[in-house]
Amino acid sequence: MAPISTTSDGGLDVPARPGVAARKKARRFLADRIARRLVYGSGVLVILAIAAILFVLFSVALPLLLPPKATPHQAVDLGFSEPVLAFVTDEYRENGVACLPSGFVQFSLVESGPGPTRIDTPGIGEAKIVQGFVTASGGLAAGLSDGRLLPVDVAFETSFEGSKRQIRTVVTPGKPLVVDEGGRPTELAKYLVRDGSTKVSARVGPRDVAILEATETANLMGESTREEKRELIQLQAAGEITALAMDARGDDLFLGTSTGEVIRFDRRAGEDRGQKESVFVARSRTTAVTALGFLNGDRTLIAGDAAGGVVSLQMLQPDGRPRTLTPMNQFEAHKGRVVGISPSRRDKGFVTIDDGGEVKVHYGTTGKTLLSLRAEGARLTGTSFAPKADGVLAARADGKILHWSLQNPHPEITLRTLFGKVWYEGYNEPGYVWQSTGGTDDFEAKFSLTPLIFGTLKGTFYALIVAIPLALFGALYTSQFLHPNLKSIIKPGVEIMAALPSVVLGFVAGLWLAPAVERVVPGILATIIVVPVFAFAASAVWERVPTALKRAVPAGYEILFLLPVVLLALWVGLQIGHQIEHSLLHGDYRAFFLKVLGLTYDQRNSVVVGLAMGFAVIPIIFTVAEDSLSSVPKNLTAGSLALGATRWQTALRTVLPTASPGIFSAIMIGFGRAVGETMIVLMATGNTPVMDWSPFNGFRAMSANVAVELPEAPEGGTLFRVLFVAALLLFAMTFVVNTAAELVRLRLRKKYRTYE
Amino acid sequence: MNRFIRSGDPFIWVTGSALAFALLLVAGLLGLVLVSGLGFFWPRSMVEISLADGRKLAGSIEARERIPDPQSGKKTTGSWRFKLKQGNRDLYGSDFVWVDEKDVRERAYPKEIAVIERREWGAFHGRPLKVLEGETVVAEGVDRSWALLIQRLPAALSVYDQARRIEKDELGGINFKKEKIRLKRRSLELKGHSKGSALDALKAEEERLQKLFDKQMEALAALRGTVRTNVVFVSADGQEKQVALTNIVRAYRPNELSFFGRLGLYSSRLWEFVSEDPRESNTEGGVFPAIFGTVMMVFIMSLVVTPFGVLAAFYLREYARQGPFVSAVRIAVNNLAGVPSIVFGVFGLGFFVYIVGGSIDRLFFPEALPSPTYGTGGILWASLTLALLTVPVVIVATEEGLAAVPRGAREASLALGATKFETMWRVVLPAVFPSVLTGLILAMARAAGEVAPLMITGVVKLAPALPIDEFPPFFHLERKFMHLGFHIYDVGFQSPNVEAAQPMVYTTTILLLVVVVALNLTAIIVRNRLSKKLRTSGL
Repeated sequence: MAPISTTSDGGLDVPARPGVAARKKARRFLADRIARRLVYGSGVLVILAIAAILFVLFSVALPLLLPPKATPHQAVDLGFSEPVLAFVTDEYRENGVACLPSGFVQFSLVESGPGPTRIDTPGIGEAKIVQGFVTASGGLAAGLSDGRLLPVDVAFETSFEGSKRQIRTVVTPGKPLVVDEGGRPTELAKYLVRDGSTKVSARVGPRDVAILEATETANLMGESTREEKRELIQLQAAGEITALAMDARGDDLFLGTSTGEVIRFDRRAGEDRGQKESVFVARSRTTAVTALGFLNGDRTLIAGDAAGGVVSLQMLQPDGRPRTLTPMNQFEAHKGRVVGISPSRRDKGFVTIDDGGEVKVHYGTTGKTLLSLRAEGARLTGTSFAPKADGVLAARADGKILHWSLQNPHPEITLRTLFGKVWYEGYNEPGYVWQSTGGTDDFEAKFSLTPLIFGTLKGTFYALIVAIPLALFGALYTSQFLHPNLKSIIKPGVEIMAALPSVVLGFVAGLWLAPAVERVVPGILATIIVVPVFAFAASAVWERVPTALKRAVPAGYEILFLLPVVLLALWVGLQIGHQIEHSLLHGDYRAFFLKVLGLTYDQRNSVVVGLAMGFAVIPIIFTVAEDSLSSVPKNLTAGSLALGATRWQTALRTVLPTASPGIFSAIMIGFGRAVGETMIVLMATGNTPVMDWSPFNGFRAMSANVAVELPEAPEGGTLFRVLFVAALLLFAMTFVVNTAAELVRLRLRKKYRTYE
Repeated sequence: MNRFIRSGDPFIWVTGSALAFALLLVAGLLGLVLVSGLGFFWPRSMVEISLADGRKLAGSIEARERIPDPQSGKKTTGSWRFKLKQGNRDLYGSDFVWVDEKDVRERAYPKEIAVIERREWGAFHGRPLKVLEGETVVAEGVDRSWALLIQRLPAALSVYDQARRIEKDELGGINFKKEKIRLKRRSLELKGHSKGSALDALKAEEERLQKLFDKQMEALAALRGTVRTNVVFVSADGQEKQVALTNIVRAYRPNELSFFGRLGLYSSRLWEFVSEDPRESNTEGGVFPAIFGTVMMVFIMSLVVTPFGVLAAFYLREYARQGPFVSAVRIAVNNLAGVPSIVFGVFGLGFFVYIVGGSIDRLFFPEALPSPTYGTGGILWASLTLALLTVPVVIVATEEGLAAVPRGAREASLALGATKFETMWRVVLPAVFPSVLTGLILAMARAAGEVAPLMITGVVKLAPALPIDEFPPFFHLERKFMHLGFHIYDVGFQSPNVEAAQPMVYTTTILLLVVVVALNLTAIIVRNRLSKKLRTSGL
């Protein structure tokens, strides 16, 4: 069957029968076509792979910067034609409880759900509800016309029957608390329960605030005793009280006034107790502060005024000075009077509403207003940020509740939070902070990439300081002066150096080099000077050596003589360092650095990284630079030497300038390698994200940060995406630098060709 | 003098010293790693010291230094101290102790002092006091107990091995099958079957396996019951400690060992290191799973990277029309080699693990969800990530080889009527084969040493099972794996007992360096041979 094939390369076939030959030919062409397809496919696949890297990194990072979206739902009519004073919903936005002037109502937000039902609250008695609000624990409370306050505990119990979710609303009206013994209506109240003690503060007159502190203590017999303390505070300033807020710790009470001020009352026991500073937040002295509220965590205060202005403030304590209320961000203003503020319970976002029917979603830390929603119809009376921060609800005076779903997974990220200074809660000034995880529930992750970029550049800088002189001098020597026999050994030796896994370098740097360097820092500094001096001296000695002896050693073998000299120089350098430390630095260089230069010393620091990463970069710069130096056309060097220039002059004046683009590209490639190096910086630095150029401090590089934090980051979360941004930056930095280096090298190659 | 400086020679020497310095760095690093790592398994003499305060310690001296003195002006005081590896972590709390030489009253090297390597708590330094069989004393006195201990140890070790085999193979196999049945049941339930013969069969099978499991557990308990020997040891300072014979890995008296005895012990520990599983959160025992994981990952990577790299190089050099597009692609491929490895890791996580793996899970393994099968890091994804990382190495090497194949060879083949494919297959490919090999070896060397991308695509500090075992389908590419490089990072930096683990890390480093350097040297040699061959065959 098989035809006779005369050549192994399939060239000439002697056909046995014509039909078989045709079939064979067809098969050969088919094989050729398949191979062509396969090769083209693979080529395209490799190109696609490069594109895919960019695409995947980009598509994961992009949602961070997408604007938030809101989709409106059907409004829910509670059916009582009364204004909704306050309301809460469960985390799936299916059930809710509202406070109306006539009492409490339980309702459903889904169409198929049961209709609104009234909740029996016998505690109200004859009194009327004058104010309703959401308590710090997510329940409701009503201020009554007779000086009392009725807390109503609301809990949503979620259970699963198979895959079906069931939510039960449990409403427990509490016992009314007497806030004002004078029986004045309690408006603008705040209510919080913490560690068994209840605190209520409420406006009971235009300039009066009544405060109730009730503590329940259980004694050994299991009986509980209740202790109630009441206090009346009078506003010592112009205007009337128009808004009120109290933080969850009970440290401070904030009052908004009709003259546009926020006045702080220190409520902590001690000398500082009493009325403190006032901060003017409104647009004019006649604009009242109409709403006050805290963001999640109760540290940032939001104030809204009658002209629509929204600002954030926080309590700061700059070094040595007393705590003061300090304005932070100004948000996009409403057109109407701000009547409600509701914080997100997930992050630092919040919703504000005005009486003109506008709902705005803001983010506290960034100072950015994310969304503006219009609510047509009757004026708005209350708002609620959904518990999972995935929806916004607003209640209208006609008893309807409007409802939007919010698509806003990464509200805390803007280009400014990634790269600029951000004023975080609890910080005295704006700064660059990277802190992705924290201990507490209301911890706010801080995602500034700037300290990481700084760390990457710092590590690269110190690595290049070490690597560039060693690699370039070494390359110059190898290409111009080293004997070819030695070159064929030394070049592979340096190439092996490039192949050493960085985890090995990092391990040795972190566990051996770091403690070793700590002992001999002055010695290392001394070595930088001693080694060249010794090399100089060695050449002077060689000069005096009798010519007969010199002849025996061919030129280019100096390196063998230099190895012990450098070794000796290292030892001498370390000894000199010890002597300097003993006699000049009082035996402890670290104390000297701290006292005179103000530098602290970390064991795993930039010098260690510089040495270890320099070690990794040297062979890369060396190889590329040596290539371009060696391939300088011979007729150029020969010409120079023939004109009487010495070897050194030729190397310096002819070879170096000609090959300088190649050297530039070598340094660029070294830079690219140092930027992306991960294991060395991970193991040899303390990984603290500080921004400080000191060589004796550590840093946190982008690459190490990605390696450490990405395995822990939940897919699709903000941290996950921010780390992809970091990877994208690394990709972009190295790609640009390498492309530049490659283009320079291609041009240089062309240039060399013209000399031939 | 002036002339001497103008001649430039001193500057040449200065540049030479830079090269010398770089070479010394390499030599120093390799020397440090070799010295610190190779000595670890050598059994050192045990010294028993009596201190001024009456305490007694036994151990080997690991280091000696001048006592640092941060208070006074000088950095150190005049006197010396040494670091003693005292063992007995359960009694003293730490493996090492610094001893001031001026406190030492007496040093002795007693022959009968023994090192007992245990499965828990590290080594015990001391003397055997008595041997118990259950509750009864069967030997008393140091020498008699020792003789009996040595006599019974091999049997105990073999029982331990059998027990482990039952645990891993028999019980592990039953658990594996049970998990499969659970998933099958779940998959039937997902399809809406709540009853039926298939489900009943699975249930019966499950019960059968449970019975088998119980039987094996009984066998295991019976096996363990055969060795009831306990040995009571006493430490140098007189504390007694009872150790079960099955808990002993190795027992020897270092001070009575001859050179060859030590050599034998050294080889046995070295063999344990390369062939056994790690113990004591990776700080003792061996690194076999890490070696296996590294080799298997590099192997899978090579299977992927070779065809794609070679085909892509043929595309760029032989098939594509040369022009700005191909030059751009070539530059991009070159640059891909310069992109940080961690970026490849991030891509591997985002693309292979979450996009590809997640889709595979939804399509083929819905019964296991929400716990991911392929939608989490694993050896396959790590290998593919590294394949992408190393594909430029293969492409560049192959392209260089293709450029060196003389044009005449191709033209001759085509002129004889061969198709392009036949020319490539029969003429060009054999000629570039050494280049491909060089590229592949370099790619393997690079892959073996990379750690950062693996950290996010599937490496773990302790993998419960190897990616290959005797249970179908034999290759479990979705499994997480151990890796030598990651082992170095993990044990050196994340271990609870870094000081004790450090020598072991150096040994692991040597292992990794041997692999990487050997691969690189092979590549260099192949390349040199090749360039010679090409020079001679040039037309």
